[in-house]
Amino acid sequence: MFEKRAEAFVLIAPAALFSLAVFVAPVLALLSEGFHFEGHWSLQPLSAFFASSLNQAVFWRTLKIAALVTAAAAGLGYLAAQAIVDIKGGGKGRMVAMVVLPLMVSPVARTYAWIVILGRTGIVNRALIFVGLTDEPLRILFSETAIFIGLLQLLLPLMILSLIGALENLPRDAVAAARVLGANDLQIFVKIILPLTREGFAVGGTLVFAGSMTAYITPAVLGGAKVLMLETLLYQRVSIANDLVSAGVIASLLIVMSFAANLVMRRIAKARTA
Amino acid sequence: MRVALGLVLLFLIGPFAVIVAASLSAGETLAFPPQGLSLRWVEKVFEVESFRASFVLSLTLAIGATSAALALGVPAAYALARYKVPFAEILRLIVASPLLVPGIVVGLALLRYLVVPLRFPIVLALFLAHTALILPYALRVVSASLANLRPEIEEAAVLLGASRAGAFFRVVAPNIRDGVLAAMVLGFVTSFNQVPVSLFLSGPGVETLPIDMLGYLEITYDPSVAALSTLLAALSLAIVLIAERFLGLTRYV
Repeated sequence: MFEKRAEAFVLIAPAALFSLAVFVAPVLALLSEGFHFEGHWSLQPLSAFFASSLNQAVFWRTLKIAALVTAAAAGLGYLAAQAIVDIKGGGKGRMVAMVVLPLMVSPVARTYAWIVILGRTGIVNRALIFVGLTDEPLRILFSETAIFIGLLQLLLPLMILSLIGALENLPRDAVAAARVLGANDLQIFVKIILPLTREGFAVGGTLVFAGSMTAYITPAVLGGAKVLMLETLLYQRVSIANDLVSAGVIASLLIVMSFAANLVMRRIAKARTA
Repeated sequence: MRVALGLVLLFLIGPFAVIVAASLSAGETLAFPPQGLSLRWVEKVFEVESFRASFVLSLTLAIGATSAALALGVPAAYALARYKVPFAEILRLIVASPLLVPGIVVGLALLRYLVVPLRFPIVLALFLAHTALILPYALRVVSASLANLRPEIEEAAVLLGASRAGAFFRVVAPNIRDGVLAAMVLGFVTSFNQVPVSLFLSGPGVETLPIDMLGYLEITYDPSVAALSTLLAALSLAIVLIAERFLGLTRYV
């Protein structure tokens, strides 16, 4: 270790000052717009925001979709991650690469694929008509379901990657011992795997939940102008009405909820001894 | 379990097969399965003037912002790893903060408080925003490489008469090269695919490629966006496969 503080500061200062000036200061200024009323600090904009039933509906829809996506990602994530961890040899690295790859492809392209799949003449509707389940093509696009599917595909890799790390650190003997003692698969999952992988779940859960709330492209393309989430509402308020106050309120809500999700997940992670 | 993994991978990767197929369609409208095969939509992508301009902007932006983020991030990561820095955690938090705030908020904040009052050119604001966004990745990845490098090696070089700068460039730099390259790939991909930050930071003649694509999607669903998506996916795939081959990129994600 070298002890010269001046040197250290010369090395760090550019990055820290840059982030403060370009990022922290402007963002704080924007957030403060949502807490001013007639020139004073006030919570009036917050209560005004929630007085609108449209805004309330968008708020709850955002929470609901984020929670559902997180739950679905956890379910599928455990299955996929366990299967990958169980692979022996070089196949495992290839599987991990397959999970990482989608993360590297433009989210516009990934979201656009669902227009092809879920649209009126898409595969899903063709299959449904072919099988005879429906005569008219169903309207799947521009709905909460479409947003849910799009977000799940976008964010599931983050959950799988977090759980792979957790499952690899699981003591192998624990599962084997439980099996010898007569536990079935469900009991092993609930009593052994789940408590021992809570930290990985908490990391993945935070990423997926916050990612669902703050995604823009998916609700914009798959939800359309009617099925809004907080991000698309923010964009609409600013681009149509130049409404910075609502923007400040929504931005604060998004940040607070991301942090809250992180806290809740960390609580879950710590509750392992309970 | 194997079956479940197969289905999950189908869900994650299958949609790309659908875009590829749709982009090879000979028909007028977007459809899967495609109506006949042709490369007409792939050719059309190269004919759309705005796609060319926005591709060049996105490419320049990604390269410029990644370089700037590394120029700021590598020294900071080095100082945080090698010195006892007071308030190290607060400094880390400041630099990492762009990860905690939705991108759309960042873009709007820069538009309102830099571009409008200070008359910053939009391109410059885009560059600054993308740099701020990549900086946390650069710091994290380079920090991870530095953590694997024992400080004694560098101290030995200094004791043997190398200058501090000499020790950094001749001992430390070659050892963290893979981490820096991985950070470059991640930074490039992050910037190139970025939408929410760039959303408000666009104007006449200044549009990144993904924003241009989103705008195009509002007008028409013709297969040219599918063709462009296919080309972009292929580009990302190539970059990632090469990086994985030489660097083991998946370790850093």
